[in-house]
Order: sequence, then C-alpha cells, then structure tokens
Amino acid sequence: MHTLDEIMKILAEVKPGIEAEPDTELVRTGILDSVDIMSVVMALAEEFDLEISPLDLKEENFHTPNAILDLVNRLDD
Amino acid sequence: MAYNSFPYLCIFLPLCWVAWAVLPQRYRPAALLGGSLVFYWLTAGTYTVWLLLAAALTWALGLGLGRLQQLQEAALPGLDKPARKEAKHQFAALQRGMVTAGVIGLLGLLIWLKYLPFLVRTLNSALSLLPFAWQVAAPSFVQPLGLSFFTLMALSYLFDVRRGTTQPAEHYWQVLLYLSFWPHVVEGPFDRWAQISPALLNPPKPNYRAFTFGVQRILWGMMKKLIIADRANMYVKAVFDNWPSYSGSAVVVATLLYTLQLYAEFSGCMDMVLGAAECFGVPLAENFRQPFFASSVSEFWRRWHITLGAWLREYLFQPVIVSKPMMRFGKWCRTRFGAALGRSLPVWAGLLLTWLAIGLWHGAGWLYVVYGLYYFLLQWLGEVAEPTLLRLCPSLPRWRTRRWYKLWQALRTFVLVNFGMLLFRSNGTRAALEMLASLRRPYEGSLLIKLDAQDLWVLVIGALVLLAVDLLHERGIAIRESIARRPLPLRWAIYCGGMLAVMIFGAYGDNYDPAAFIYAQF
Repeated sequence: MHTLDEIMKILAEVKPGIEAEPDTELVRTGILDSVDIMSVVMALAEEFDLEISPLDLKEENFHTPNAILDLVNRLDD
Repeated sequence: MAYNSFPYLCIFLPLCWVAWAVLPQRYRPAALLGGSLVFYWLTAGTYTVWLLLAAALTWALGLGLGRLQQLQEAALPGLDKPARKEAKHQFAALQRGMVTAGVIGLLGLLIWLKYLPFLVRTLNSALSLLPFAWQVAAPSFVQPLGLSFFTLMALSYLFDVRRGTTQPAEHYWQVLLYLSFWPHVVEGPFDRWAQISPALLNPPKPNYRAFTFGVQRILWGMMKKLIIADRANMYVKAVFDNWPSYSGSAVVVATLLYTLQLYAEFSGCMDMVLGAAECFGVPLAENFRQPFFASSVSEFWRRWHITLGAWLREYLFQPVIVSKPMMRFGKWCRTRFGAALGRSLPVWAGLLLTWLAIGLWHGAGWLYVVYGLYYFLLQWLGEVAEPTLLRLCPSLPRWRTRRWYKLWQALRTFVLVNFGMLLFRSNGTRAALEMLASLRRPYEGSLLIKLDAQDLWVLVIGALVLLAVDLLHERGIAIRESIARRPLPLRWAIYCGGMLAVMIFGAYGDNYDPAAFIYAQF
C-alpha cells in the first residue's frame, strides 16, 4: 500500500508550488490540466513501476490526491 | 443542402420531423436513417458509397470485436493461471489486429482522399532539389462530404468497443445511422456512440419543450450566421484575398472580423445542428463553451471545438504517452537528462504530435502544419516559463485569483488567438508573413472596405450581443429556460423579433455573397 505523502511528493515535483490537501479538487479548479495529468502519470509509472493503460486516464482518477492514491493502489494490486 | 438554406429549413427539416413524430416509436429510427441518407445523397450524390462502405467496415469490425470479447469471457474461467495469461494474450492480439484493420481501412481512406495530393506535392518539392527531373503525377480527388467527421466517429466507435466501454451495434443500419445522422455528418460535433445511440435507436416521444428549445437554438444559430458571419465575410474576403493592397489597421480589422466571423459561423452552425437534433430528442455534444473567456491558449482549445480536442486527447495524446515505446523513451530521457526532463519530454512529444494532428485535420498543407506548431509553441513556452515566472514574481499565484489579472489573461489569450486566426485565414505561409510585416505600415485608405458604416455598426452590436450572451452562459444563466418562464405573448414577441432580425439584418441580397460554412470543407 502506498501513502498520501508519496503522492504529494510527486505532485510537488510535477507542479512546483502546488498547495493541495488530500481532497483538494485538482482538475476542476484548473490546478492540473491534461498535460500536467500526463506528467503525473509518467512520474507514477516511473516511481512505482506501474503499467498504466489509456482506460486508467479518466479524469475522475486524478480529481484529488486521494483519488490518485486509490488509482496507484488499485494498479499495484 | 446547407443548414441555413431554404430547402433544408422549410422543407427537409419539417418533413423529417413530421415523419418522425407520426410514426410509431419502433419505426422512428427508420425516419432518422431515411432522412439522413436522403440528406447525404442530396448533398454528396454518389459519394454516399464511401459513407456506406465506411459504415459497413465499422459495423463488421465492431461486431467481430464484441464477439471476441464474449468468447474471451466464456473461455477464461475454466483455465489455470498460465493458460489464462496465454489466452488473454491471444485474444488481445486478435483484437489489436481487428482495430488495426479498422484504422488502416478508415484512416487509409481519409489519407488517400484528403492528404495524398499534399503528400505528392511535398514529395515533388523534395524531388525538385535532386539533380534529375523526376516528378510524380499529383492526383486530385473530390473529398466526400464530412469525411473527416464520420471517419473519426467510426474510429472512436471501434476504440470504445475494443476497450469494452461500449457494446457494439447489432445491425448495420444502426452504425450507418450513427455515422450518417444528418445534423452532425457535415461539421460535427464528434459524438460518441455510447452517448447518442440510446436516443437514436429508442427515440423519445415528441416533446413540445424539446421542439421549441430546438427551434429557438436554430434561430439563434441563423442570427449568428446571417447577421454576423456572412456580413463580416465581405470585409475579410476583400482583405485576405488581396492582401498586398492592405496594411496596418485594415489588416488588424480584417483579422478581428475573421475571428468574429469564424466564431459566429462555427458556433452558429453548432447551434443549428444541436437545435435540429434537440427537436428529435437527440442530445448531441456541445462544441463551444465561451472560448473568449479562456485564460490561456490551452484553455481556449478546451472551450473551442471541444469534441475535436476531446477526441484527440482520448485517442491520440493519452494512448501515445502511455504506450510502451514512449515509456521506454521516458526511461531513456531520465537516465540521460534527469527526472524532470524524463517526465516532460515524452509528454511534449505527445503534445507536439497532437497539435500537428489538429493543424493537419484542418487542411492538407504546410500552412496548417505551421498553425499547429504555433499553438504547440505557445503552450510549450507557457509551461517552461512558469517556474521562472514564479521565481521572478512570487505574488503571481495570488494575482491569478484577482479579477484584473483574469481580464489581462483573457485579453492576452484573445490577442494570441487572433495571430493564429491571421495565419489560419491567410492564403499560405508567405501571405501570412507578409500580412504580419504589413502591420508596421500605416493604412491610409478608408476602413470601410466592402461594408458601409451601417454594416460595421451591425457587426459591432452583433459582437456585443454575442459577448453578453456568452457572459450570461459563463455565469451559469440558462437563457432559453429564462425565456420559457415568460408569458406566452412575450415569448412569441422574442421569437418574432429574432426572425425579423434575421430577415432585416441578415446579409443577403444583391450586395452580398452567400458564404459556405467554413468547417464543412474540413
């Protein structure tokens, strides 16, 4: 199981200066756009050695840091 | 048969609606299919064959993919783990083969008819640099109506069936109706099978509210097209088609009017398309969301031609980046250039490919390649400059929440979009560069080119009305809902006022050229 701290660290690397809580809306508020999401995906795949398919790239999987954590844990199972 | 023509609005559409409304529910899809085929035949003639063939290929492959899915679900439970893995691989290979056949068949037809002449011209230019005189005969094809639109919709259908996010259609006529549905076959939007098939195949009962809302939207689209777009076209055409004679303010006004023309025309066409479909109870996808309120060019493209952007994001940009070769490329970049570039370079490569696709989708020519590159560069520069900007101006995140800064962002985006529009409308890259250079030279002639002062006032007022309507929509105010709540006499006064405005201020008659819909040529 991965932790929220790991996800926050990746988000801070991809988007320097980001201020997000576990349930902060990332997509709807414009903190992450489609390009940022793909940078997060690249970082997640590299960091956790995940195989991510186009079907996993639904916006709802990136809505909040918690949603990203759920996705990572699901893919790692 | 154009969407704003008399035969379409006064004969075709009412006849189709009456046939659709009076038939029993189970026969209503037949009315929609019949209407769609008649519309396509009347507009494209024998080119209808291409549409029929594309639908046949899409239907057969979709059915095959669905059948493979069923076989896989039946076969896997009885197998042990290694055998299951092997079977999954085999099924995946078969499904990939089917999708590849669809991509080759459908995209091949698009490339052959739309891009082959451009590719041959480019090859000939390259050959002319060689010492021997060898040239390839350039083919010339007439492109079937809506080819780019029905091809991408057919591909999205196959990809979605392959991904298991939608069930394939059982019958050929169902896919044919999806692809040929007349409101979206000429200029989109790119609708998804899963989204519109319920309303196409099981149409709802005729509904007074849906009908009146649909008619209102058609009327609003007509106002945009005939009062604003066709009037602005006179000025735009005169300047852009004879650019060496103009400079400075004349070029600025022509560019601004072209932006206004394209927005009024394309969004107006979408209003006519979505309004017509709404009369038949079919909810098509929205293609515009107040694009000139965007704070950046990337946001502008999320608000302008939304369904094209969504299609390319979902079926090109994202799959390319998570593909195995791109992941390997990311790892290679990481070892060579560090973690940050290892993440960014594959994303930028995918983005460049997507912008080139957007450019080339609009036309087969180098001008459109440059058009795509222009937006790629703007987006790329914005992203790479962000850390430096944050370092230089730590107050930037706070400013971004302020109204004055949002206004500045919208104005900046508007100016950048207008440069893109100048490029897009110009008669080639050389003409675009010459027009840009001519901005430094003052224009000494009259700015009333092809239009009189009254026309310009109509355009200014029309632009302000568009802006006001967009502002209300941006604030979440539903104008049609608001009109529907008014007393009957007031409602009808509004409808009649709209029709009168089209009749009085619409750009037609001896002094005007009726302009074809720009996006229909794509």
